[in-house]
Amino acid sequence: MTKALEATHRTQGYRKTRDVACALAGVVSLALAAGAASTVAVPVNSDLGLVAVLPYPFWVGVLLLNIAFVVALRGDATGPARRLVMLWLVVVLVLVLFGTAAFVTDIPRGEVAFRHIGIADALSRTQGINPDIDAYFNWPGFFALLATALRATGLDPMAVALWAPVLNMGLWLAALGVLTGYLTRDPRRRWLVLWIFCLGNWQDQDYLSPQAFGFFLYLVVVALVIGPLAARTPKVRGIKPAELAAWWRGRSPEELRPMHRVSALAVTLLLVAVISASHQLTPFMVLIAITALTLSGRVWPSRLPLIIAVVVALWLAYPASAYLAGHPPLAGGGLEDVIVANVVDRTSGTAGHVLVVQLRIVLTLALWGLAAAGALRDWRRGRLDIRVVLLAVTPLLLFPAQAYGGEMLIRVSLFALPFIAMQASSVLLPADGGTRPTLLAAGGLAVICSLLAVLTVSGRFGNARFDVFTSGETAAVAAVQRLAPPGSAIISAAHPTPWRSEGYLEHRYRTIEDLCGPGLSTPTCGPLVYGYARHNPAGAVVLLTRSAEAGLVVQGASSASNLDKLEAWLSAQDGVVLVFSNADARAYRVTP
Amino acid sequence: MSSGVSGPTVALGIADVALSLVTLVGLQTPLQAAAAVAVLVLLPGQALTRLTQVDDVALSALLVLSLGLAALTAVSMTMFYLAVWSWQACVVTMGVVTVLACIARGRQEAAR
Repeated sequence: MTKALEATHRTQGYRKTRDVACALAGVVSLALAAGAASTVAVPVNSDLGLVAVLPYPFWVGVLLLNIAFVVALRGDATGPARRLVMLWLVVVLVLVLFGTAAFVTDIPRGEVAFRHIGIADALSRTQGINPDIDAYFNWPGFFALLATALRATGLDPMAVALWAPVLNMGLWLAALGVLTGYLTRDPRRRWLVLWIFCLGNWQDQDYLSPQAFGFFLYLVVVALVIGPLAARTPKVRGIKPAELAAWWRGRSPEELRPMHRVSALAVTLLLVAVISASHQLTPFMVLIAITALTLSGRVWPSRLPLIIAVVVALWLAYPASAYLAGHPPLAGGGLEDVIVANVVDRTSGTAGHVLVVQLRIVLTLALWGLAAAGALRDWRRGRLDIRVVLLAVTPLLLFPAQAYGGEMLIRVSLFALPFIAMQASSVLLPADGGTRPTLLAAGGLAVICSLLAVLTVSGRFGNARFDVFTSGETAAVAAVQRLAPPGSAIISAAHPTPWRSEGYLEHRYRTIEDLCGPGLSTPTCGPLVYGYARHNPAGAVVLLTRSAEAGLVVQGASSASNLDKLEAWLSAQDGVVLVFSNADARAYRVTP
Repeated sequence: MSSGVSGPTVALGIADVALSLVTLVGLQTPLQAAAAVAVLVLLPGQALTRLTQVDDVALSALLVLSLGLAALTAVSMTMFYLAVWSWQACVVTMGVVTVLACIARGRQEAAR
């Protein structure tokens, strides 16, 4: 009796020590990674992005964190480490992977976040929605939310944009945590899914954006559909119409309380309406996923896809009709065009940039490979969950429908990622005798997780040369906003420019890349840009920044010497005056 | 309570009214941000989630966030379309939504 008590005491002591050690390892990892990232100098001068300039303590932190997670996940015979410890390690991973850029600089990364702040600012200034302005004003839901939140809280929009990736990942993980609870009761598998979801998230769609908001609501809708709105299905007896009809009639609701189902349905419809008002692509993903789940017999309200289709169609037919009149939904579709826009055009540029793109592809394929192996393993054991497979595969149906500015493959991989992570976890944990990995398997898991982390940091921050801005560039943009008369055009070399966060409606914003098309040779491009600037009644300001030029060079759209020649030619023309200059930017005013 | 309305429902309604007034009056930045997030997202989300009678803690917490954000999006967007938007109007409207949800919940509780 005494021995048994001592053994229990020893086990509890070991658990406590292990949990404290794992939590402390998380603290050390965060300190190492944040400290190392904060020493990185901006601008980042490598075509490989941040991965080439992050000092080794960052990687030590990443390695330590993955080891701590695997130790905590392995836990003991009763399960993984305490929930609080697991949660803390996930928080640290989010800060390390998705807050890295915020530790490097206090300027938000990427151009689009600036633009989104500008749209919210424009909405709150005009206090109305004019759908003729551009596509954003046809799907204004997220921007209306952002405008209200920024004005009511008084928060600095740039600080919000800087930390948006961490905030969005928090929301996504919260939804995914609930969702996985309906798919598996195994706590190890649930924590591992969250971990892999973070490690596979190179897509960089978690910035301050409608798609990040839409993706959160999408995950909540899926959680409701496989939770309170789920159906039990009898075994399929055959595929004859009568047998299928009997199978369909034999379905029953998982949630037996009708009012709970009605509540869940009402919430789902509200979320679908908000998604439809906030983003172009996400409603279609919701429709496809819910339709597939319904056809599999796993959703109780069988008319839900029809209702969602009506909501989406109504939004397109009325509030978004101004945009759709000139932009048919399936324009730019077709497999060949989509492959060119999403794959061929993206695998060009300098050697470093091409390597980054290849690493993103490797990471995606590695996760899909693990998921396929997991699915095969589950199928052999007769426990393949058709819902997970459908949710992982259905995003592929979006791929041939639209090029989506060359981003469709990125969006497809993001929509699939939670369920790819779920299926991959099947092969990363033991299948027999519980899911506690052996020491050897745990070592392998730590190595795999660490490799995935390196690939994610490489892929996610691979464009740092042109999407991490300097204070000189933001100062130049502020000066241009001040110097450019109302109604004038502001012309930047290319899209990686931290502009449009103010005065969104006061100027015409163009890039030299858009005006000239590919090539940017001075004899053809120079007169085009100069002519456009001079013919604008209020004149123009041409802004040439380091990041825009780096973007063109790194992605293979032009060369540094080409851009130098273009600038020299432009600055020698009549009515062109240098009005601002610093180490990272020059601005020329062009009088009409 | 003798009326059958639970304490949390009453507390939620009173907290919402008080915090809405505080937010409208204005506070220093970090406090204003906390108060505004509570009034615009968390309290409406909580009040609406309580109407759904979901008993799973994790799903409830998720619904507080998603319903709060979705309701604020719907309210803000509608105000923009009607050209009557101001952040103060949004605070008042979300406050009304919360109080109405509390009243509806109170009626549910009283009917039991």
